[in-house]
Amino acid sequence: MTQTLDLPDTDLSTRESPDVPWITIVWNDPVNLMTYVSYVFRSYFGHSREEAERLMLLVHNEGRAVVASGGREEMERHVEAMHDFGLWATLAKEDS
Amino acid sequence: MIPFEADGAGVMARLTTGEAAVLADLAAQLIHLLDERAAESPADVLYAQLGIGGGTETPLDPALARLLPDAYRGDSEAASEHRHLTERGLVDRKVANARVVIESLAAKPVRLDAAGIQSWLRTLTDLRLTIAARLQIEEDGDAGTGDERMLDLYDWLGYLQGTLVEAIDA
Repeated sequence: MTQTLDLPDTDLSTRESPDVPWITIVWNDPVNLMTYVSYVFRSYFGHSREEAERLMLLVHNEGRAVVASGGREEMERHVEAMHDFGLWATLAKEDS
Repeated sequence: MIPFEADGAGVMARLTTGEAAVLADLAAQLIHLLDERAAESPADVLYAQLGIGGGTETPLDPALARLLPDAYRGDSEAASEHRHLTERGLVDRKVANARVVIESLAAKPVRLDAAGIQSWLRTLTDLRLTIAARLQIEEDGDAGTGDERMLDLYDWLGYLQGTLVEAIDA
């Protein structure tokens, strides 16, 4: 199996040190269709059908799912993208 | 009749004239709702051109609060700062999507390319979120309180949304 090395974080606007992980959380809502949520996870995050279904069911059954983790700026972009799709998403520090 | 059908790289929608008129009217109402929000917090002209700027408070209207949610939970300062920087752009994109929907409804049959499909998916979602807020559908299983016509619209939009996802997912 090939391993890829992570590029160094050269983003000067990063407000937190890169070793403080942030997460994007998608929350359950009674409106969005399960098929649509699964489609969003696949089309936006590039997840496989299985992984998208797993995350969608987590949202549906547990009320929330962590769909991404990384730098704060990146998570803010993900949250904005989810809001574009009409999904209810927030970001938080991983330990919170 | 299934309203959406794969059509090459795009999708063809079969809507009656009446259905198209209802959808265009709903999309126009969505634009109006979002425009009102944007007008509440006029941004600096340059910032507005960059899509930066917007309110700092969570909208009081539950529909707008759901369309433009806080990006942070339990951290009102971060939520407010983020909202101020991004809400205008989010509103602009939602309005632009609704405009695309209205424009595409002028043709018969309605044909959507890849970008059009994305605008439709997002606008159908925004319309359902708005109507759900009006019907006070807040948790799984809520039947909704309101007039039957609005419930019918909500279900119909869900049907459109579902068949559109199926059509592009085949």
